[in-house]
Amino acid sequence: MKRWRHRRGPVTLLAGLILALGLTGCTGSKGADPTSTPQPGEKIELTFWSWVPGVDKAVDLWNSQNPDVQVKLENIPAGASGGYAKMHAALQAGSGAPDLAQVEYQNIPEFLLENGLVDLSKYGAADDQSKFIDWQWQQVSYGGSVYAIPQASGPMGLFYREDLFKKFGIEPPTTWDEFRTAAETIRQKDPKAYICTFPPGNSAWFTALAWQNGAKWFGVDGDNWTVNIDSPETEQVAQFWDSMIKDGLVKTEPDFSNEWYKDLQDGHILTWPTAQWGDAIVSGNAPKTSGKWRAAPMPQWSDSTFASANWGGSSTALLTGTKYPEAAKKFAVWLNSDPASINLLIQGGYGWPAATDALQGSALDKSYDFFGGQKINDVFAEADAAIDKDWGWIPTTAATYQHLNDGFQKAISGQGTFVDAVKAAQEQTVADLEAKGLTVQQP
Amino acid sequence: MTIRSSERRAAAGFLLPFAALYAVCFLLPIGYAAYQSMLRIERTGPLGLGGSRTVFAGLANYQAALTDSAFTQSILRVLTFAGIEVPLMIAMATCLALLLDSASAWAVPLFRSSFFLPYGVPGVIASILWGFLYVPGVSPIVGGLHSLGLEVNFLGSGAILWSIVNIVTWEFAGYNMLVLVAQLKAIDVELYEAARIDGANAWHLIRHIKLPLIRPALTLTTVFTIIGTLQLFAEPLVLRPISTAINTSYTPNLAAYTQAFVNNNYSLAAAQSVILAAAACLLSFGFLFLVGRKENR
Repeated sequence: MKRWRHRRGPVTLLAGLILALGLTGCTGSKGADPTSTPQPGEKIELTFWSWVPGVDKAVDLWNSQNPDVQVKLENIPAGASGGYAKMHAALQAGSGAPDLAQVEYQNIPEFLLENGLVDLSKYGAADDQSKFIDWQWQQVSYGGSVYAIPQASGPMGLFYREDLFKKFGIEPPTTWDEFRTAAETIRQKDPKAYICTFPPGNSAWFTALAWQNGAKWFGVDGDNWTVNIDSPETEQVAQFWDSMIKDGLVKTEPDFSNEWYKDLQDGHILTWPTAQWGDAIVSGNAPKTSGKWRAAPMPQWSDSTFASANWGGSSTALLTGTKYPEAAKKFAVWLNSDPASINLLIQGGYGWPAATDALQGSALDKSYDFFGGQKINDVFAEADAAIDKDWGWIPTTAATYQHLNDGFQKAISGQGTFVDAVKAAQEQTVADLEAKGLTVQQP
Repeated sequence: MTIRSSERRAAAGFLLPFAALYAVCFLLPIGYAAYQSMLRIERTGPLGLGGSRTVFAGLANYQAALTDSAFTQSILRVLTFAGIEVPLMIAMATCLALLLDSASAWAVPLFRSSFFLPYGVPGVIASILWGFLYVPGVSPIVGGLHSLGLEVNFLGSGAILWSIVNIVTWEFAGYNMLVLVAQLKAIDVELYEAARIDGANAWHLIRHIKLPLIRPALTLTTVFTIIGTLQLFAEPLVLRPISTAINTSYTPNLAAYTQAFVNNNYSLAAAQSVILAAAACLLSFGFLFLVGRKENR
């Protein structure tokens, strides 16, 4: 074998490293770049890197309304699929970075560490705070500064097969205990069916479930990053799924895989605890089950307070080096808070708006045939109001996800438990941060 | 005897294009990776946001790579993989080549092309293709075996390595076969005639003429296979989303890729790449040394 295509592996990697680190030599940080304010009548162009479907239409709308500030949209691969690597490379090279870029909430600290984002509090971001939902504003705020304009999120609920629930005599579970009982009933009534899958390779989902239970994995305490993954709240969630798997009550196939789509189509997977944006995934991949699904609030851990969680979330950030921070910030705020722009983004399927009062009258405010005429977004509006706003992220979140994935995959193949995986992820995450030269505070 | 300076100049002129490309595309990147692997970023200020500088770290990244159990496991994994793949690949390619070369073979061009065809399919596409044949609920193979009462999970932790072996063999056996066929074709037919006169049958021809004479090609394909297996990358990367048994550091290449492009840690990625390159070098030259020693005996 193994000829040039395979030999190209390391060469490409090395070429990438060169590109990434190319001419920067030993300088990691840069001072504030000189910025300029455009003269009246002067035309400026801002580049914007994004992968969000539908954002092109919103950009077109802005360009038609703002002839002097034209935004040039460049489509890039989704962040984790190479988009962030591209941004980091451009930032390190010191040239070629766009003025604006799509950055997910969990990736903001990793860019802060590279000094890659413009501190918007210097450009009057405080005046825009009221336009956005509080917990999402917190997601872009670190150490008293604001580093991006919130765009969208994924408040969570439970999609379930109403027809099969009825057939098996199950009510939509309101607590996780009821969820487990429902899972048992489903296994008894149909040996091929499961209540859901636990995706061992997608720990972002597990993270959201821990968030719901009040865990606060990451954060900032004074001058230090804090890591508290193996908290009692997280372990309760891990134990729950450990026992579900031990008793054969859930599948362990990957989500977003053909196998899983097939199970959704065939009625072998009956629920999906997921974010609001999951509606398009289910309706797009199991179109023949139309009318049979409903949305319910997330099952709860405690009877006293209602808590939801968030899965996924994204912002528009200004990258260091932009010459026109004022104009770029203005565009970012408009993109994510103007009702016309929000409607175009909703139609593209970008998720749940970060702007306040964006639901009413928007394209989300409707009944869905796929969900039997239910106005499912009422469920998610309620969820959005019940998301713990103190959840934050660290510069090495992506690595934590990997540690959890690795641990979960081991547990699935019979080595250890999810609780072990959570404990290991705590230690590994602290080591990750320390390896980056950061100080960490543990509980 | 002395070489005239004009000849020397001519030789240098002919070598220059190769040497320049070799330096730019090979030595320079490797040298840069080696340099990069010895750097570390230091940060100051609250939350580390007060600025950063790159400092010399010596072998700290190598230590970090080699004490990371996920990375050492990935090396052991590709060594296991190579232990299975290399003999299988060479045996398969040799069998196919000998079959095509045998006296009773028919429609040789057709079969040669068909065996070679998978090589024309890019590794990523091949993995997607096989992925569909491995996924339960979609795959006719899994479905067929299920209806026979056999439950198989090609993507589980027990079988995934074998599933990748299958893809890689499918992709490259035809290519290696072609290298061997080319050398078989170069064997003088008079040797066969002479052997037949001495009473040799087809098996004797293979054992005592063909195999010894295609030895250089076998050595070459073995080295290619060793290097290729150690650098396993595309197949696990593509299968990862559908398998619960492939992690982000499943192979050393995948681990380096993750460090560089997900964790933004170029120095550690560089150290891992250099370790992998050294391992591939060691095994390839080790094999060549063994072969050479045997030949000289």
